[in-house]
Amino acid sequence: MSEPVVSANERAAAQEQATLEHATPERIAPARDVRGSHLGRMLTIARNAFREAVRDRVLYNLVLFVLGLTVVSIFVGELSAGQEAKIIVDLGLSAMLLFGTFIAIFVGVGLVYKEIERRTVYAIFSKPVGRGEFLVGKYLGLCLTLALNVAVMGLGISLALLYVGGGSLALSIWPAVLLIFMELMILTAVALLFSSFSTPALSALLTFFIFIIGHFSADLRSFSASMGTQSSRFFFGALYYLLPNLSNYSFITPAAYGQTPDARMLLGSLAYAVVYSAVLLSAATLIFNRRNFK
Amino acid sequence: MNKEDKNLSEAHSSRRRSTVALILLIVVGMIAVYGLSRWMDEHRPQASAAVEEERLYLTGQAARRVSLSFNGLIADWYWMRALQYVGRKVLKHETTNAKVQLDDLGSLDLRLLYPLLDTTTTLDPQFMAAYEYGAVVLPEINVDDAIRLLQKGINANPSAWRLYHHLGYIYWQRGDYQRAGEIYQEGARIPGAAPWMGVMSARIMTEGGSRATAREMYGRMYEQSDDEQVKRMAALRLMQLDSLDERELIRKVLNEYQSRTSRCASAWKDVFGALRAVQGLRLDQTGAPLDPSDTPYVLVKGGCDVDLSGRSQVPYK
Repeated sequence: MSEPVVSANERAAAQEQATLEHATPERIAPARDVRGSHLGRMLTIARNAFREAVRDRVLYNLVLFVLGLTVVSIFVGELSAGQEAKIIVDLGLSAMLLFGTFIAIFVGVGLVYKEIERRTVYAIFSKPVGRGEFLVGKYLGLCLTLALNVAVMGLGISLALLYVGGGSLALSIWPAVLLIFMELMILTAVALLFSSFSTPALSALLTFFIFIIGHFSADLRSFSASMGTQSSRFFFGALYYLLPNLSNYSFITPAAYGQTPDARMLLGSLAYAVVYSAVLLSAATLIFNRRNFK
Repeated sequence: MNKEDKNLSEAHSSRRRSTVALILLIVVGMIAVYGLSRWMDEHRPQASAAVEEERLYLTGQAARRVSLSFNGLIADWYWMRALQYVGRKVLKHETTNAKVQLDDLGSLDLRLLYPLLDTTTTLDPQFMAAYEYGAVVLPEINVDDAIRLLQKGINANPSAWRLYHHLGYIYWQRGDYQRAGEIYQEGARIPGAAPWMGVMSARIMTEGGSRATAREMYGRMYEQSDDEQVKRMAALRLMQLDSLDERELIRKVLNEYQSRTSRCASAWKDVFGALRAVQGLRLDQTGAPLDPSDTPYVLVKGGCDVDLSGRSQVPYK
């Protein structure tokens, strides 16, 4: 007797539903327990979002990355006049940012949309799961995927650096790797915000624009300083503070010279990423709460 | 109120509470983001010279090859990058030092400017603004780079007589009047060239670095340029030339006063009558002569000489 054909996504959704049922045995939990189960439910959703990303072969990009890096490590020595370690850092970290950005955008915009499209969202919301919990869970799941992606890529770069004799850089790149991960955290939250009210294609486009603008923040600031009128200065100044300042996380070039950001800036950047993502997730929840799935 | 109504009302108020909490979180979060941004802007360490002045990855030719058919767009991007590179350096310099002129940026260590302009003009060889900018700014950094850029422009645009004007300006500025005159002459032979190119050639050949030649040079530059920065630089240089003429006239009056009274003037009112009689000089209400930026000149060396005021916009150098 043949087994019914079930897609990986449907399996993931069924598993998520089953896990949620298991995680929330009481339909109406006592008030004391709610605080604890909030986190539990979010972590369950996060775990399933991660599993789903793995099943969707999102992490296959790592194979491509490692292959590319191996080829570059072997051949770059012939072409770079003694700059192979620097080029590996530049290329490796840039690829890490690029691959991460594509994952954050294209997986991020589909996180919510796919659940609505497959109608699994009805099953999830029929359980005592808040929409905010659902969004934060999905966000954490993708962040976990990105963390794994970034960590494996960082390890690959470190190994390549050891191979070409750039031992000191093999360690000093890790703060830059951490900054890239923080940037991806913000981008994931941006993608999730847009996908809470828009189609995946438009959300991806808008998130990509934010990625571009975010890297020109410093120019936006000097632009606002050079403006003649008070109103235009205010407008560009407000844009500078309102849009995510992703240039705070650009540390690839200094990392290639063995420089590391100082601990205060690293903490400041982490605080900025966490607070900014929290704001975006709050806005996404606010919008998502008002959506009618009927 | 029955139990169902009560539950509904509780659900409503819970939803309202959650909305208010979320809005509050967004507002507080944005305030925190603002504070964090300001803190990071203030505490951001200066980028090291190695990072700031990192050489361009791609040569102009390589950039042209990989740009597909977007070379015009990428040239625009490199052009803006060149302007921002200079602008950032100028702003940084002016926070601790006096204002600098566009044609006097030698102290700013603009080592990336030539590669940026070279890439811009390789991607788009008809990018006249880049050649003009290079002709004005590059000579103070590396005159050979400036000449190389302009020669490249002339090779790519043999009918662009303005490029001969810019190249002639570079040679004139470095005091090679013979070569500058020859270049203006070459430019004057191009069909459609402005008639003053030939006149300029003759003038440079005969008068070299005279003030009249300089006035003609900057006057033409002001007239021909579309670049506001170049226009402003030319205007300032014209003001400087006028001021040099004015200061000579004032010095003459002060010398006459000194030889007549055997002492230097203690204030402008001592020479008010004589200054008023000089044609072309403008005086303010106190009798002090005004420079071309409408700032009064000041008496120096105990009233025996005249100089620009510190507030004047007329360049010193």
